[in-house]
Amino acid sequence: MFNLHKLINQPKKTMIKRLIYIFILTLIFASCKNDKKADGDFSTEFNVPDSVIYEGDLEISESAMDEIVQNISSPVEMAALIKSLGVPFSKDYLATTDYIDNYDTNFKKALGLGIFGADLGYLNMYNKTGSVIDYISAIKTLADGIRVGQFFDFTTLKRLATNNQNLDSLMYISVQNFNQMDRYLRENNRSNLSSLIVAGVWIEGMYLVGEVARKSPSAELSEKIGEQKIILSNLMILLNNYEKDPKFKELIEDLEEIQKLFKNVIITYEKGEPEAVEEDGMLVIKQNDKQFIEISDEIRNKIINKTADVRNKIIQL
Amino acid sequence: MKYRYILFALFAIFLFGYSLKTNAQSGQELVDICNIIADDATYLKDFQVKLDAAKPGEEKPSSRFSVVLSKNTIYRFSICNSKDYPGKAIVQLYDNNRLLGSNYIVATGKNYPSFDFQCQSTGVYHIFIDFKEGEQGLAVALLSFVKKF
Repeated sequence: MFNLHKLINQPKKTMIKRLIYIFILTLIFASCKNDKKADGDFSTEFNVPDSVIYEGDLEISESAMDEIVQNISSPVEMAALIKSLGVPFSKDYLATTDYIDNYDTNFKKALGLGIFGADLGYLNMYNKTGSVIDYISAIKTLADGIRVGQFFDFTTLKRLATNNQNLDSLMYISVQNFNQMDRYLRENNRSNLSSLIVAGVWIEGMYLVGEVARKSPSAELSEKIGEQKIILSNLMILLNNYEKDPKFKELIEDLEEIQKLFKNVIITYEKGEPEAVEEDGMLVIKQNDKQFIEISDEIRNKIINKTADVRNKIIQL
Repeated sequence: MKYRYILFALFAIFLFGYSLKTNAQSGQELVDICNIIADDATYLKDFQVKLDAAKPGEEKPSSRFSVVLSKNTIYRFSICNSKDYPGKAIVQLYDNNRLLGSNYIVATGKNYPSFDFQCQSTGVYHIFIDFKEGEQGLAVALLSFVKKF
């Protein structure tokens, strides 16, 4: 195919000249391509055609949504708290993946993604890899449904779970995949779905803590529930942006019921002076503030019950 | 003759494309490196920042991120700079109105690859990232969970 003999026999000057031109053009082309790739980490990598871009009026612009508080709800932290209290694992707390087909709208899919994401965090924290596959399969289905499945590394997660190996990687990849989905949605005018995922994670995390507190009450869990007053108010800022959408409005009204109960939780502060110390070569910043959370058993129980109602309404579909 | 040039061009694209690709450090690679630096802490979020060099007479460009952190929790902030840019990232952590700490201690001039934050109050915190002396830079700050206390 590539006749070297013929190439060598053509006038050398012309051939070398042409090859140099091609070489230079190729260099320019290759370097331009690479620049785009290096920058591409901060822009959209996948140009997925989308019919679910939110086109309603927004209280906060899509660009400003990027500045909205992140890490509002973390499946890792909720699950870590439960585990640190020595509470045994219970599969009964988890949302069933049996009716995944019932999540048939983008609204339900995004909320479901958050709920199953929180459950996956709980399973990972307790190293329950046997059940993980059901949840990563459900997450993959829902993520594909809202066209962010490309960010969920199902194959790797399944391999890690099946082989019961490198459980830290399982947690790392799954949390990172959720962050990538969230980032992609926010960068592509689909913050409405991103907000729903965040809401789903919060609702399920709150439900898990509530159910554990119901069976094994403790001061730590009561305080954790009480401090959600601050987190819910940030979540409501996100959701209120889409209140003109009837489905969002209904969810907001349900969460407002919980927010009303939180009005009885009193949070006070005592400011201290932060200090930076070096401990074993590691820089440690101590905040030295004090935060007091007052929540009665009655209010705690009402919050737990209301949260369970809201969550069960979502998963029963 | 034309096919020879096309073949040559394709070969050159492959060669140079591959060699440049393997050298340039991506944001994802930095996140993976940072996760190693974070050691046994559990990854929560990453903040990727790419900033131009400060223009003469202007303030250093910086990026801001807001996060919710929880009471009685130790968080770790790990910082990784891209080798493709000169800038070294400075990460500063603020509550609503004051600086709580940074990976760069002005008094000693020491730059730490990570720092732990003992959070004693649930709320919104702000992370500001810029580059030392306003140099151009690409970096990742990784937030991870160490433990409850």
